[in-house]
Amino acid sequence: MDLNGDGHVDLLSGSYSGEGLDEMAGLFQVLWGEGGGIFKKPQVLKGTDNENLIIKPVVSGTTPQRERICTRPTAVDFDADGDLDLVVGNFEGSYYLFRGEGEGKFSPESEKIMRGDKPLITGQHSDPFFVDWDQDGDLDLVSGSVQGGVVMVENLSGEGKEIVFGGSQPLVNFPFGKAERWSDEAPSPGDSTRVWVEDLNEDGKLDVVMGDRSVVLSAPEGMSRQEAKEGVRKVEAEFNELRKTLLTQPSLDEVKAIQEKLVQMGDKRREFMNEKRTGSVWVYLQK
Amino acid sequence: MKKFPYVVAALVPLSSGAVDFEKPYQLKGGEAVIELESPGYAAPALYDLDGDGVKDLLVGQFMEGKVMVYKGKGEGKFAEGKPLEAGGEVVKIPGVW
Repeated sequence: MDLNGDGHVDLLSGSYSGEGLDEMAGLFQVLWGEGGGIFKKPQVLKGTDNENLIIKPVVSGTTPQRERICTRPTAVDFDADGDLDLVVGNFEGSYYLFRGEGEGKFSPESEKIMRGDKPLITGQHSDPFFVDWDQDGDLDLVSGSVQGGVVMVENLSGEGKEIVFGGSQPLVNFPFGKAERWSDEAPSPGDSTRVWVEDLNEDGKLDVVMGDRSVVLSAPEGMSRQEAKEGVRKVEAEFNELRKTLLTQPSLDEVKAIQEKLVQMGDKRREFMNEKRTGSVWVYLQK
Repeated sequence: MKKFPYVVAALVPLSSGAVDFEKPYQLKGGEAVIELESPGYAAPALYDLDGDGVKDLLVGQFMEGKVMVYKGKGEGKFAEGKPLEAGGEVVKIPGVW
């Protein structure tokens, strides 16, 4: 989007946490565009008070710090006043609004976005993207999450009015994919999804473009895939049995010992596999 | 904190199932499936960066906060990717780690 209205598209990014802060909090980084695909180096986006824009969590039963990290800011005219605002997702899965004042300026006050009288939460690592999904003239919210998949939250307000959120609808269900697979298994979408919506094949229907995180496993050198899979299976069976003992109300010392064994089992599991961690981009063409 | 003017039904799903899509496929950069550096966490965006009328693909990643750019070739196809640069240097978004 053209954040400062100078006719050139700008790049906006969140971050896990900023440098030099007293506690973890994701700042918003902007690469001001100069046209033709040329951008300036990243700069921290500041509010009209000339301080770094940062979420000021509303303490309402959530963990405030989780709402400040792993931010994902998106520019949208949320209040239909003609200026771009920022809607920011975060680790907790909630959303915060920074109202725009035009030309890339934003109020430093963050407002927690509600659905009715409750905070709007769609899944950890909320990932706001706005598009008129249901084609009723106003912008709906589409989001990925750490759990995977994609959800759409309907805007009930109508064209030209401040967004008001209604019901949710899953667009992509994660159970159809898994984040970890062996290298000779067919690829499938993973978790930690980030979303873009576009009519990619220009058939008049909106499609979903989804980034993910996945882990591809392979057998270590000198071990067959069958041996590796069997090794992993045995360790996981022991792991699950050990976890069940946590339900028997053991003492604190016993809990500590069990947790140490669980960590060791994680290490042992990795003896039977090489892990390749990566991210892909998946396309869901709407029928 | 501002509240909106009227209460709406909360958390009521609009429909019981997901949308009807074709089987998902992975985008390629050139001939190879796009696979980001470990640990992944792909964040895609589409925009016609070079003004040739074809949307290009940008994909943010966790490792060093780099952004990969894949030039659009039309019909949903993209060329091999290269890291976004600014000021002659590879862009690394601070605080992404």
